[in-house]
Amino acid sequence: MKILVTVKQVPDTATKIQIRADGQGIQEDGIKWVINPYDEFAIEEALRIKEKQGGEVVIVALGPSRVEEAVRQSLAMGADRAVVISTDAAVDPAAAATALAAVCGEEGFDLILTGKQAVDDDSAQVGPMIAANLGLPQVTVVLKLEVDEAGHRLRAERELEGATEIVELPYPAVVTAQRGLNEPRYPTLPNIMKAKKKEVRRVSMDSLSLALDPRVTVNRLFAPPERPEPTILSGEPEETAKELVRLLHSEAKVL
Amino acid sequence: MDFSLSSEERMIRDTVRQFIANEVMPLEPEVLKNERNGRPAISDDTLKRLQEKAKSLGFWGINTPKQYGGAELGWLMTALIYVELGRTYVPFMFGGSADNILYEGTKEQQERYLLPTIAGDRRSCFALTEPGAGSDAGNIRTSAVKEGKHWVINGEKIFITNGNEADFCMVLAVTDRSKGPHQGISCFLVDRDMGWRSTPIQTMGEWSPASLVFDNVRVPEENLLGEEGRGLALGMRWIGNARWAIAARAVGAAERLLEMAIQQANTRVTFGQPLADRQAIQWMIADSAVEIEATKWMTYRAAWMLDQGMDNRHMASMSKLYGADMANRVVDRVLQIHGGMGYTKDLPIERWYRDMRLFRIFDGTDEIQRYIIARNLLKGHVKVGQD
Ligand SMILES: Cc1cc2nc3c(=O)[nH]c(=O)nc-3n(C[C@H](O)[C@H](O)[C@H](O)COP(=O)(O)OP(=O)(O)OC[C@H]3O[C@@H](n4cnc5c(N)ncnc54)[C@H](O)[C@@H]3O)c2cc1C
Repeated sequence: MKILVTVKQVPDTATKIQIRADGQGIQEDGIKWVINPYDEFAIEEALRIKEKQGGEVVIVALGPSRVEEAVRQSLAMGADRAVVISTDAAVDPAAAATALAAVCGEEGFDLILTGKQAVDDDSAQVGPMIAANLGLPQVTVVLKLEVDEAGHRLRAERELEGATEIVELPYPAVVTAQRGLNEPRYPTLPNIMKAKKKEVRRVSMDSLSLALDPRVTVNRLFAPPERPEPTILSGEPEETAKELVRLLHSEAKVL
Repeated sequence: MDFSLSSEERMIRDTVRQFIANEVMPLEPEVLKNERNGRPAISDDTLKRLQEKAKSLGFWGINTPKQYGGAELGWLMTALIYVELGRTYVPFMFGGSADNILYEGTKEQQERYLLPTIAGDRRSCFALTEPGAGSDAGNIRTSAVKEGKHWVINGEKIFITNGNEADFCMVLAVTDRSKGPHQGISCFLVDRDMGWRSTPIQTMGEWSPASLVFDNVRVPEENLLGEEGRGLALGMRWIGNARWAIAARAVGAAERLLEMAIQQANTRVTFGQPLADRQAIQWMIADSAVEIEATKWMTYRAAWMLDQGMDNRHMASMSKLYGADMANRVVDRVLQIHGGMGYTKDLPIERWYRDMRLFRIFDGTDEIQRYIIARNLLKGHVKVGQD
């Protein structure tokens, strides 16, 4: 089974984000970049399927030269090789999905796995849009995945609010991973050593000659307002409870 | 000159950091509780389980040659890994390593001592120091006298790390007093069941070294390690290897402590402002960061020199001296920034404070490191400004 995993490199969630002076993006220097955590679940799932059923796991990534590091990390986890679409441009979800779908289509696959969303912009669009671009069935926010190779079908459990939905679908398909799907492995030392020797094919975004008119443009990025000083109520519980209700009702207007 | 880590080095370092954070650091509260109730910090079972898990990821024998089944990552990588291990006070170490001087053994000695130590089936200790010979190691009194096909060892050793747990000992003893320390001291591999005894010594740290007694312990002649009369040189090699490793651990611990101090400085408010706004506190943080960084690069250099086949003893002494002092200064400042909380046993700072005091004592005291560094310079073994 040939599995493609699309991987995005994102700032470590522990990083303190600073917004650029022009308000169009974040300051990139000093940021520690990591594999999008949801993509790690996707990589892990792909590796497990491969370990059970054989096949190949190929990483597909998009971005500037720094994404190479996320790609090497994915290879160190055990993926076989990678394709990187290189571009320095800011890419909106639709453009990213168009480019990724083009490369995936050209690569050929049985299954595409990716994270349910990237933790940087949280748009959660790229997986579904890749599926749409390629005319494939898709299942998102997946917590459990079974592959029936004989019947050429997938059985996925996906998370709904307060419920689990069980979906069956044929593949090729696109599946997006939710936290809980698995526990991503540590890279092993031998795989870290091998990662450098594995093939990473670079495709320049321009060479794909795609129409990538952005559908989303960023007007301005700004930090959320500073949290105001907390109000601390003191006194008898009976009174403070009443005061709390009053404040929630008439000041905060949440009750 | 290139100060950046290769992508492998970074991935290995990050993987170890992740492993320590996810698998080892969660044991910290348990370690504190165990130690405070007089139990071992972590059980042998727990250690074995962690080492097996690490082994399944290939982290086994990080500095053990490949021909012995190790990963042979080189000394710089080992230093980077020691920094990560130093970030926790859980006494965790990857399995699959053995004392450097055991590789000097004959094939038969390697089979009986080196290989089982690497495999984790045997546990070693190294015994040089005596009640009357520490800094002046050449002054040891323990003697080994040849009787037929045996050496008979008599004497007392003190402050021996792992002396209570080890099942064999690399012990230094005088074999020919007339030849002086550099020709008259030899090193022996002595099983516990050949008759030496150990007694724990309580220290200000949480674990006990041992005093060892050798009372007419008969050792077969084939247990002489290396050449007769060249034991002190072996001993110095054992010690020399540990020096920059102590500095590396000091870096890890100091970094973790500094993170705690930064968090405390940003959250604790006094007189209406966070501690972080006070210059007195800022300077403690700045000085700590500078000293950590300085130690780090001396340590990396000492390890790197070893990878290049260079003589790193001078650099190892400098990193050990500076690193041990740095760690003590940093932990003192971090405790100060935490105020009363820093002094309590609710936080691990006081434990680290006591632990780190040892860094300035063992494997050559501060004074002995200074003596070595100065001697190298005064005698012209090392020239000022020469890189
Ligand atoms: C917890 C612990 C674990 C240890 N583990 C081991 C081990 O596994 N194996 C082993 O063999 N040893 C071990 N040691 C021993 C350690 O290496 C010695 O304690 C150390 O070398 C100092 O020797 P000493 O204690 O005899 O101090 P001394 O030599 O008596 O020194 C006392 C003080 O005098 C200073 N001093 C000594 N000579 C001079 C001089 N010429 N000029 C200026 N100042 C001087 C010293 O720096 C020190 O401050 C351990 C010690 C401890 C505390």
